[in-house]
Amino acid sequence: MKKLLLHIFIVACLFFIIDRITGLGLGFLYRQSNATDEYKISYSNESTRDSLLFMGSSRCLHHYIPSIFEKGLGTTCYNTADWGIKNIYFHYGLLGNILSRYTPKTIIFEVHPCDFQNTPFSGKERAGSLAPYCGMSKECDEMLKLSGNFWSYKLSWVYRYTGSLPNLITGKLGSMDRNLKGWKPLDGVLDTTGIKAEEYPFPIDQERIDLLERFINDCKQKNIQLSLIVSPMYLCSKEDVYKIPRELAAKHRLSFIDHYRDSTFVGHPELFYDLGHLNRKGAEIYSRMVCEELKR
Amino acid sequence: MVVNSLAFLWFFLFVMVVYYLCQTKKEVQNVFLLACSYWFYSQVDIKMTVLLIILTLIFWLLGKGIHHFMEKEDERKAGLMASLGVTIGIGALFYFKYLNFFAESVATFASFLGFHMSWTALHLVVPIGLSFFTFKLMSYVLDIHHGKILPEGNIVSFANYIAFFPTILSGPIDRPKPFLIQANVARLFNSDQLMTGFRRVLWGMFLKMCIADRLDIYVSAVWNNYEHHSAISILFASLLYPLQMYADFGGYSEMAIGVALMLGFKVAENFKRPFFVLDIAGYWSRWHMTLTSWLTDYVFLPLNIKFRDWGVYGTIFAIMLNMTFIGLWHGANWTFLLFGIYHGLWYIPLMVGGGFFKKRKIKVNAHGWPKQQYVWKMIGIYLVVTFGLMLFHSATIGEFWHICERIATHWQGGLFTDMSTMANAAICLIALIYVDIQEEWFPKYQLPLPHQINRWRWELTVAVEIVCILLFGVFDNNQFIYFQF
Repeated sequence: MKKLLLHIFIVACLFFIIDRITGLGLGFLYRQSNATDEYKISYSNESTRDSLLFMGSSRCLHHYIPSIFEKGLGTTCYNTADWGIKNIYFHYGLLGNILSRYTPKTIIFEVHPCDFQNTPFSGKERAGSLAPYCGMSKECDEMLKLSGNFWSYKLSWVYRYTGSLPNLITGKLGSMDRNLKGWKPLDGVLDTTGIKAEEYPFPIDQERIDLLERFINDCKQKNIQLSLIVSPMYLCSKEDVYKIPRELAAKHRLSFIDHYRDSTFVGHPELFYDLGHLNRKGAEIYSRMVCEELKR
Repeated sequence: MVVNSLAFLWFFLFVMVVYYLCQTKKEVQNVFLLACSYWFYSQVDIKMTVLLIILTLIFWLLGKGIHHFMEKEDERKAGLMASLGVTIGIGALFYFKYLNFFAESVATFASFLGFHMSWTALHLVVPIGLSFFTFKLMSYVLDIHHGKILPEGNIVSFANYIAFFPTILSGPIDRPKPFLIQANVARLFNSDQLMTGFRRVLWGMFLKMCIADRLDIYVSAVWNNYEHHSAISILFASLLYPLQMYADFGGYSEMAIGVALMLGFKVAENFKRPFFVLDIAGYWSRWHMTLTSWLTDYVFLPLNIKFRDWGVYGTIFAIMLNMTFIGLWHGANWTFLLFGIYHGLWYIPLMVGGGFFKKRKIKVNAHGWPKQQYVWKMIGIYLVVTFGLMLFHSATIGEFWHICERIATHWQGGLFTDMSTMANAAICLIALIYVDIQEEWFPKYQLPLPHQINRWRWELTVAVEIVCILLFGVFDNNQFIYFQF
């Protein structure tokens, strides 16, 4: 028995050493990566110093062109959004990490039903993308705890990068255009064959709404000018999808910029890449439009 | 609760501690093991645990009865009791797995002939592991009847054989004799056995989580939406599927064997590098070995003897029936039936050519590598297996037909790529191929193989394996393909 315990002890020590060394190496590769995903998350969490930040999921990522806002508003701007149906669990953790470093002047948050509905395709696990930043802020750690993997990330640094080794090795070869400042253009035109409006028949999730409120309150505490925004869709649901964020904005006296049913875009396939995402041309028109609104 | 889950880890740690604390008292150890096995199975379905206990009791009594009549030299009654056992075993399988399929098929056939027949499908929950434990039960009564074993006097040992938690859900389908011999002696704490077992568990986890689950991301993405994918993508996914199956079921078997070993039981091997073979017979002698050997002993050999007067045609008939059973064992579906027949057909040239009973060995060159012509043959067998598994994977024959049709007609469009998934899977597949090649052709080299304990670097390889699983594993896809059978 003693012999076995000794073996187990040695395995534990070796695991600890190999895991930490490998984890450090992976972390280094992650931060050096030029590949879109890693670079975006890494830069958003660790390096942004801009006055105006856009936050949200893929619709935000493809719709807001920082250079237009920088020119129009005379301020620095970065689009921190990430694809992959990220939700409030991710956004709140990211906000915590950003606020642990500096305080931007303005945040424009593109809300999505995933931020207040219990959507089966986008749950707490989405916070797992923040795994490399475990320990960076208490908000981030809290979201990782909710995702159910916090202690795994604490125990193993390698696990924070699970499944990403090939991406990290080839990350240096990535083609992230840093001048786009986080915006990812989509080139192409929507094929409207058989297209239907997206519906969100999912139950309201109080935990997500609470997090949304905490997001708002944290910004308020830091005197950040926060706006909630909804960008256009090619086809709109008949339901009042964004009732909850609108009510929250009213409650907290925030501006709520609603372009969901904007006739400039709705029904114009030439401005869309797919049902929910504007193409390059659409994003340019839309960004100018929002920039003008912000000026006012 | 699956073997590669955190819940199982806590359960198993608890079992190990108590199990070895009572190692000096064999009876206590066995009762505890049985209680743990029943608890484990009850986590799947408590009602089915009751069924398992009842079946265990019936077969234990049948074993006693068969032996009783054999001692009295009343072969007729002994035979009747053995037949009753087989009938109960097959009856349970038929009721839970095949009744709806059979009745629906009969109704469809009747309506085809112009008769009106209707069948309301019964909502039956197939007990997980049913196909595995009923085969164990049947082999017990058949082995007693064949005089290979004596009935087990201790019902706890027998119940442990049937319900042994590492193997109850997906095998290996152990034979009664080797298991019961081990169950009737105390399993003493043995650190070497524990360490070997743990290595096998880790290797199984690597196969399952790093290869099978990773490949599943790609294969499912293509197969579940085949109508949107090009022929090249469907073919590529199909070529990956045998590897996924091997890693999934082989991984589970490794984990089951490893966990059993840690409890002091050596259970039968289930896979032996199944793609390094020259014909379909070689493949089945290395793939799901415990099922193949079970059916060989209890179905093929008796049939072959029965039809020996027919010469080679008798053997062909026996093998076709045997392979049909293998197909149907996987479930009540025409695709499984065709899967079995398809494999059976590949045996015919072997039997006609006289190669069936010859063990064909892969010849190697001066460097120890297989000669080129054998490599081509191995690739050929892999393709044969791939086509069979396309049938196996399809939900219906119609779906299989649509897939084939799409392969034949949709050559426009490129390969669906998911670089991250493919790259992760490729790295791990290289490790698997390396290990398999080394075990097959270069066993003398003392490289860090999972089944070998190199005392001075056991710790290092274990630590590296854990790190690799954490780095390459998929942690949110726990289901094993073979649980459905």
